[in-house]
Amino acid sequence: MISATKTVAVLGAGTMGSGIAIVATRAGHRTLLYDLTEEQVDRGLATVRAFLDKSVRLGRLSAEQGAAASAGISGTTDLKDLSGCDVVIEAVYEDLAVKKALFGELDEIVPETAVFQTNTSTLSVTAIASGSRRPERVVGTHYCNPAPLMKLVEVADGRHTADWAHSATEEYLRSVGKAVVVTKDRPGFIVNRFLIPWENNCIQALEAGLGTRESIDAAVTGALGHPMGPFRLLDIVGLDIHQQVATRLYEQLREPRFFPPPMVERMVAAGDLGRKTGRGFYTYDDTRLFGS
Amino acid sequence: MLEFEKVAVLGFGTMGAGIAQLAAQGGCAVTVLETDQARVEAGTSAIGAFLADGIRRGKVTPEQRSDILARVKGTTAIADLADTQLVIEAVTERRDVKRALLEEVAGTVAPQAVIVTNTSALSVSDLATAVPRPERFAGLHFFNPAPLMKVIEVVRAVQTDPALPGRLADFARALGKEPVLVKDRPGFLINRLLMPYLNDVIQAYDDELATAEDIDTALKLGLGYKQGPLELLDMIGLDVHEHATRSAYDATLDPAFAPPPLLQAMVAAGTLGNKSGAGFRSQENAK
Repeated sequence: MISATKTVAVLGAGTMGSGIAIVATRAGHRTLLYDLTEEQVDRGLATVRAFLDKSVRLGRLSAEQGAAASAGISGTTDLKDLSGCDVVIEAVYEDLAVKKALFGELDEIVPETAVFQTNTSTLSVTAIASGSRRPERVVGTHYCNPAPLMKLVEVADGRHTADWAHSATEEYLRSVGKAVVVTKDRPGFIVNRFLIPWENNCIQALEAGLGTRESIDAAVTGALGHPMGPFRLLDIVGLDIHQQVATRLYEQLREPRFFPPPMVERMVAAGDLGRKTGRGFYTYDDTRLFGS
Repeated sequence: MLEFEKVAVLGFGTMGAGIAQLAAQGGCAVTVLETDQARVEAGTSAIGAFLADGIRRGKVTPEQRSDILARVKGTTAIADLADTQLVIEAVTERRDVKRALLEEVAGTVAPQAVIVTNTSALSVSDLATAVPRPERFAGLHFFNPAPLMKVIEVVRAVQTDPALPGRLADFARALGKEPVLVKDRPGFLINRLLMPYLNDVIQAYDDELATAEDIDTALKLGLGYKQGPLELLDMIGLDVHEHATRSAYDATLDPAFAPPPLLQAMVAAGTLGNKSGAGFRSQENAK
């Protein structure tokens, strides 16, 4: 499975960063998890180890594989520790200035042959790459949440991405068992590009009285075979996250179908963000996600 | 409990055959009206083949198959529909054809018989004006293949008796389906949501966002959809989608429904999806 063991650094120890770090270490790569504070790094490492332990309990990994993956990852708050990296995966907060600055700093530290991957969902790969003096080595790699469980990664080159960086990225993603689709540096790539207007359209249909939340969810799952209706899905994603992603896509595309309908703003204002707050389109007693 | 035990289906095409089979499976005595004997035989053998496949897959027993087939009678004589309690119209999606037939059938069945249309692209309220006492008229929109798809849209026309959608919903439940009550708006609920999405995908594919295969893969793996949008279009038929979305566009002037230029070009070229052997994915899937 593993073509070659690489040294992989993941920047950002939040949900996506930890998930991407699990994917790397589980495939046998030496993995380094970076964040600004010890506390953030420790929390990220704890998430990684808890996930690996659970995978062993569920029989998805052998005890040896789990122990190796756990031993193969370490944390740091010092960017200088990334000097030996082959692959750098950026998964920090969705802020262009922060992402650009990080890649700029790393130019001085990591070897010229290392590839930079950015896990942005709504920013331009080209704009992020412009933070590096070597934008040809920056590639967009958009993971789905939860990264350790979802097979898909969308790969998008920026304007200046070099073929070698693209190939190295695809090769890396195959080495960690991901299914790669190749798309362009356009807002929302493929999945969000179609999901956001779909969800907005369903919310508008609800507002227009074309159905109830239950009947629309039932119709979509029953007639289209989707695993979940639009309102159940929005409750899991979080209305605030939907609003944020939709607004960012709208700002870049200026097409009204990306703009969140008024109901979203009302729900966010009311604090009805979905499962995590116990109320969204539906109400919940249990606010945990994915049985975590 | 079946309120409607004697059911007539108008049209023995793909949808008519599927609806007739579903109603017969639910215990109804079904009469299917067609224009000529050859079409009656084609429809009957389509049901037979569908059920034979069900036997192979262990879903149907040979006894059930013969019982179901025994409850479906094809005819070319409109007089055979006289004692029908529920008429389900499933002929070609042409307003003039549907209206002329509905008027004729309404003159044959009892004045209290319920008449519904399986249209997906036309206005139910407009079709209702073709029958006397339009309060007994509504839409019952089945999805293809009707025997397998879980959902049936129950469409309330402007004229529909307020009690009728509930009776039709009970009928749908008795057939083992999940009824969804919807308004008489272009595309009702499901197609109203689906068509802008499919059009959006076609345009993005034409704009070279990704290959057809990668678009389908991304949406299947990313969102857990059973089928990618371009595979789905090949299965539906590009001409069928083009007709439906054009009708919705004509009725609303909403650009989300406007058929994208690539779709129009493919339909003009006869590239209609699986049935023509070439579509967005069909060529690639053909072995």
